[in-house]
Amino acid sequence: MQFTQKIKNETEDILILALESSCDETAASVNLNGTEVLSNVVSSQVKLHQKFGGVVPEIASRKHLELILPVIDQALVEAGVEFSDLDAVAATYGPGLVGGLLVGLTAAKTIALALKIPLIGVNHIAGHIYANFIANPDIEKPLICLTVSGGHTDLLYFASRRGYKILGSTQDDAAGEAFDKISRFMGLGYPGGPAIEKAAQSGDPSAVDFPRADLGDSFNFSFSGLKTAVMNYINNQQQKGNLVNKADLAASFQAAVIDSLSSNLMAAVKKYNAKSIVLSGGVAANQQLRKSISKQTTELGLKLYYPPLDLCTDNAAMIGAVAYYQYLEKDFAELSLSADPALKL
Amino acid sequence: MLTLAIDTATEVLGLALLNQQQLVIEHNLHLPRQHSEKLLPLIESMFELTEFEVADLSGIGVTVGPGSFTGLRIGITTVKLLARIFKIPVKGVSSLELLAAAVEGEYLLPLFDARRKRVYTALYQRQLGKVAERQQAISASNNLIFNSRKAIIKPAGIEITKLPEILADYRQFKLTLLGEPKIAVKEVLTAAGFRVEFANLENDFPRAAVLARLAAQYLAMDQSDDIYQLKPAYLKQPQAEINWQQKYGKKTDLAGGN
Ligand SMILES: [Zn+2]
Repeated sequence: MQFTQKIKNETEDILILALESSCDETAASVNLNGTEVLSNVVSSQVKLHQKFGGVVPEIASRKHLELILPVIDQALVEAGVEFSDLDAVAATYGPGLVGGLLVGLTAAKTIALALKIPLIGVNHIAGHIYANFIANPDIEKPLICLTVSGGHTDLLYFASRRGYKILGSTQDDAAGEAFDKISRFMGLGYPGGPAIEKAAQSGDPSAVDFPRADLGDSFNFSFSGLKTAVMNYINNQQQKGNLVNKADLAASFQAAVIDSLSSNLMAAVKKYNAKSIVLSGGVAANQQLRKSISKQTTELGLKLYYPPLDLCTDNAAMIGAVAYYQYLEKDFAELSLSADPALKL
Repeated sequence: MLTLAIDTATEVLGLALLNQQQLVIEHNLHLPRQHSEKLLPLIESMFELTEFEVADLSGIGVTVGPGSFTGLRIGITTVKLLARIFKIPVKGVSSLELLAAAVEGEYLLPLFDARRKRVYTALYQRQLGKVAERQQAISASNNLIFNSRKAIIKPAGIEITKLPEILADYRQFKLTLLGEPKIAVKEVLTAAGFRVEFANLENDFPRAAVLARLAAQYLAMDQSDDIYQLKPAYLKQPQAEINWQQKYGKKTDLAGGN
């Protein structure tokens, strides 16, 4: 691609329009130098999907197409800028629902072609992590980030904001996935994270001693062994005709997950001399996980951050924050970029 | 008048650029499942090959289906943004009308497979008389030559076995079939006493150049679409909605709900 202007460097002001349409929010933002959010417009479709008990991809895609222009217009108006002021355009290209991703990504590609400006493809998971940098611009480096959701479980190291190194990932199920599967198996419902957490409140976390995966010196995670152990335990008890105490079981399972997550996290913090810790992703909302980690970080005198609630839900500002650092690295995408529903970090 | 045509409704990715009457460039590429990767790079290369800039565009035509929803949304999203940025008018054209536009014949029945023994179709008639004259005049003044056609039965999804009933008023005319599934439809119609012919195979596919001419014609007559309202002609509710209605629809009706 040929660009009309020279690519800027970090001493100059860089204005980016970012788009996000990976699930059930159609969103656009204008970011100045990454973390300065000039506008952040989110149009949620949550109500449309409620009666179906989950997001219906075709309905979401139709809505994204309908909302994409109005949302972009509003983001530009609120920021007080024109298309011609933009230095680059960014969009989430995965992970997520392919039909929705394609709407935001195709819009961004068209803007890049029309204005002859760089196109930046952003990973949605990275977006949730960088949301923390918008909320806490003065966060100290180096930092370790634990990002955990239904789709991924990763431990990251940031020496500066400009990029991260993946220290470890799950070898099988994501932590959120394990919560969902066990919750369904125990008949506690969906989504599993909040359901297990609620059931565990009155339970004894030391009632059942479940195994913690030992992956040696690596910072990787594994939850499939734990999942099998919980299911076997339930089946054994039922065969013996014993009643299973759901509260104790939920608490013991939750404790095992939290142990695996926090022990890896704290080991990485020590090894890399981290100054701050960032929790990100849906599972980071688990109060027991936060409590366990914050106890250990206070002892070490470190700062712990989790994203503020308004940046926990999907939005475009977090995508624009990632895009800024990609811009500085000249990490631009070709117009042939397509959506990747299963994109990893 | 520089008109861009974008057709992403089917497995054929169609792109064309029409300068007044002159076709500048046309692509009709059979590229199943690659519209997302190929559309924008091909538009870019089209402008690189010709002496035009994207900013020179004065109008755009885009197919709105029937066709693949994913494909249609890629094309329509592209068109919305181009039209918004360059402030140019857009015309959404039925994929059925596009098929019918390039073929000789008085009564044209373009077909799209809707699966489960159904088709999406419409009946088009070549325009004659006053309307046609007026359109020809406008076309001529805009340097366009045009065969106008009118949908006398509007696009809809129909069971193939119901076609004779729906087309009953046109039994005395010869119908020209295009698209697919031609053979299944011909069997049903001839069994019901219709006279049916197939269109010439060379003209029996959606051509981007034809879309560009159609769009230029509509735009010359000031028949553009609101880009904020532009969407695929879905002709079908989402499956989840249909299932939900079947399961709960009646109950909520009885309860006086929605
Ligand atoms: Zn998200």
